[in-house]
Amino acid sequence: MSAVLQRHNVKVLGQGQQPMVLAHGYGCDQNMWRFITPAFEDRYKIVLFDHVGHGQSDAATFDRTRYGSLDGYAEDVLAICRELDLKDVIFVGHSVSAMIGVLAAVREPERFARLVLIGPSPCYINDGDYVGGFKREDIEGLLDFLDSNHLGWSSTMAPVIMGNPDRPELGEELTNSFCRTDPEIAKHFARVTFLSDNRADLPRLAKKALILQCSHDVIAPEAVGRYMHQNLPGSEFVLLRATGHCPNLSAPEETIAAMEAFLRDPAPAKAVA
Amino acid sequence: MDPGALCETAEELYESAPCGYLSTLPDGTIIRVNQTFLSWIGMERNDLVGHRCFQDLLNVGGKIFYDTHFAPLLRMQGFVNEIAFDLTCADGRQLPVLANTVQKLDAAGRPMVHRITLFNATDRRKYERELLLARQKAEQATEELKRLNETLEERVAQEVAERLKAEEALRQAQKMEAVGQLTGGIAHDFNNLLTIIVGNIELIQRRLPEGNERLQRATDHAMEATRRAATLTQRLLAFSRRQPLDPKPIDANKLVAGMSELLRRTLGETVVLETVLAGGLWRTQADPNQLENAIVNLAVNARDAMPNGGKLTIETANTRLDEAYVEALAEPVPPGQYVRVSVSDTGTGMDKATMERVFEPFFTTKEAGKGTGLGLSQVYGFVRQSNGHVWIYSELGEGTTIKIYLPRLIGSDEEPTETPPQKPEMVKGAGETILVVEDEPSLRAYSVEALRDLGYRVLEAADGKGALAVVEQHPEIHLLFTDVVLTGGMNGRVLAEEVARRKPGVPVLYTTGYTANAIVHHGRLDPGMHLIGKPYTYAELAAKVRSVLDEAQF
Repeated sequence: MSAVLQRHNVKVLGQGQQPMVLAHGYGCDQNMWRFITPAFEDRYKIVLFDHVGHGQSDAATFDRTRYGSLDGYAEDVLAICRELDLKDVIFVGHSVSAMIGVLAAVREPERFARLVLIGPSPCYINDGDYVGGFKREDIEGLLDFLDSNHLGWSSTMAPVIMGNPDRPELGEELTNSFCRTDPEIAKHFARVTFLSDNRADLPRLAKKALILQCSHDVIAPEAVGRYMHQNLPGSEFVLLRATGHCPNLSAPEETIAAMEAFLRDPAPAKAVA
Repeated sequence: MDPGALCETAEELYESAPCGYLSTLPDGTIIRVNQTFLSWIGMERNDLVGHRCFQDLLNVGGKIFYDTHFAPLLRMQGFVNEIAFDLTCADGRQLPVLANTVQKLDAAGRPMVHRITLFNATDRRKYERELLLARQKAEQATEELKRLNETLEERVAQEVAERLKAEEALRQAQKMEAVGQLTGGIAHDFNNLLTIIVGNIELIQRRLPEGNERLQRATDHAMEATRRAATLTQRLLAFSRRQPLDPKPIDANKLVAGMSELLRRTLGETVVLETVLAGGLWRTQADPNQLENAIVNLAVNARDAMPNGGKLTIETANTRLDEAYVEALAEPVPPGQYVRVSVSDTGTGMDKATMERVFEPFFTTKEAGKGTGLGLSQVYGFVRQSNGHVWIYSELGEGTTIKIYLPRLIGSDEEPTETPPQKPEMVKGAGETILVVEDEPSLRAYSVEALRDLGYRVLEAADGKGALAVVEQHPEIHLLFTDVVLTGGMNGRVLAEEVARRKPGVPVLYTTGYTANAIVHHGRLDPGMHLIGKPYTYAELAAKVRSVLDEAQF
């Protein structure tokens, strides 16, 4: 396996020809697509991966400078596409990976066909008239909280607290078995994610995109989804009944149905007035 | 009585358990909560049930974690254990809790309800914080240790090199000091001997019968040789920093300009002399004769280093030696403002080994008979004695620069004095009484005889005690002529003070080969004190004694 594929723990499944690349958001790994992928395996070539520092990726390759902005993560997506020689890609990005997909498609538009953006946000912090959902001090509080290692995170990052290098299995037992993240990388990723502002990149996306907006999403409120819709030319906006931030987990059927409808629609991107 | 009434009911166990119980719908809406939890956060059951979501009670970090980690995990694995949350209580307080959650599914396998068990984690959080701090400290210490280890070799090498350099500098300084003491001692004794020789040659010259030209020439040669010997001892004393200096305010520009004719003659036709004199040059305080000597010595060395001709540049400048610079020096030099006189040549230069030894007396690179090895020693000794600093830089084949730093003179309105022509004149005495105090008998005899010859009445003593006895008996003395260093526990200065107490107003003329600290403070004449350096000639003695006596009469 090539270095890139190994680094990102890339998994390729499905019987179809057209690639569907699914990118997990902040705080999880490719496992979060487990309820979605079965619906598409027969018609698509499903490509799953973990961002560096998450899941089974190679955390040793993490580089604070490279990942100092979302561009580094977008570059990873493109590297995987190049490595697998993917074209006509349907990119499905959850949470922060929605914006990572937008950046990748702006950079190499020829690789991408359509984008599905689940709970996207171009900017998490309120700014003038713009409603991002968080006050700056909220985000700073979050980052402080992360820095102090007090951990809502103590179970996913249990090795930090319970870490016993001689008996790693002790940490493993106490750790929830999914969504393992390297705590230092998670902190850094949180900083980059929640301080990012990619609003200016939105109009540069010339691809058909589906915005899947949850009801009562604390992280990406409805106003943010509507802002995305207004600023992404040729986007569709679907408000899900599902609540929270992870409809792919909490409401997979509804999520799949919305995706199917979008992917079936053969019409070219409609310009948004 | 119903025995069942004695047992706890399930309701009691639920409500008063030592942990908080919550049931929520999959979207987080609270549908049941126990009393323990309510009392922890200070809210009413009706405010919560059906109205609030569990994640609403969390702080911002907790809310984000709930959506990004907690809910996905619960959905994927059916349970989540030991999640550390902070609950926001009714009064705004944060309550640290540990949450275990199980997801219950309905018959169709869809999520139906979450059962959340919360433990009060206040104490545990405190331990965790301490643990984390201790861990951070340990990591920092480990990191520091690692860094130290990585750089250990380098630091040891650096340390050793610095130590070696310091030791070398110290060794050099000690060597110079030792050589200085040795040469100073020799020169001092030698000076005394020369004084006697000079005096006796002069005596012979005066008593020689007219017309005996052969003997006349012989004594002339002898006198010339003793003068040269006296010059040598002077240089030795200069090196040992024990020459009596007569420091005066100096304008180094004027001094250098005044020397240019002398220098041109010294340098010869093949060497071009260039002087670069700084405008607004500060004044310094030093013995102008010795500074001239130093410049001549440097010029002679430069000339000899340029056998095929070249250029000699003398520059003056105002400069400052900073703390860092002086700290690196082997000798103690105070930081501050200095007047710099530098002499540069385009000659052969010298290697490092030579540079290290150039200031040593008798060290010379010149052919036997060509150099005394005392030129640079004089420069070094004079400058050091004047609280200055000498810096030497040389490149083989390129040339040499020697810089003399003399302290800036501040706060004196005294005009720089021109170097006075010192032509001693024979002046006779008029019967004044002079008390000669000298512990060296033959030197005392010479002085006594010379002064008597000049027409003075002379009393003598070998030490301070004897001198005071003489003063008691002969209160008529007009002049005390004393060696600075005396045996018998009383030096010349103390003696002078004692004499002054008994007979105020008696002038004092000191003499010395070198001076310790008695009348010459750090090698300098105190203002108002008269000194005649050994070896002195008959004529010099005559002139000096006369001028002191004449001055005292005003």
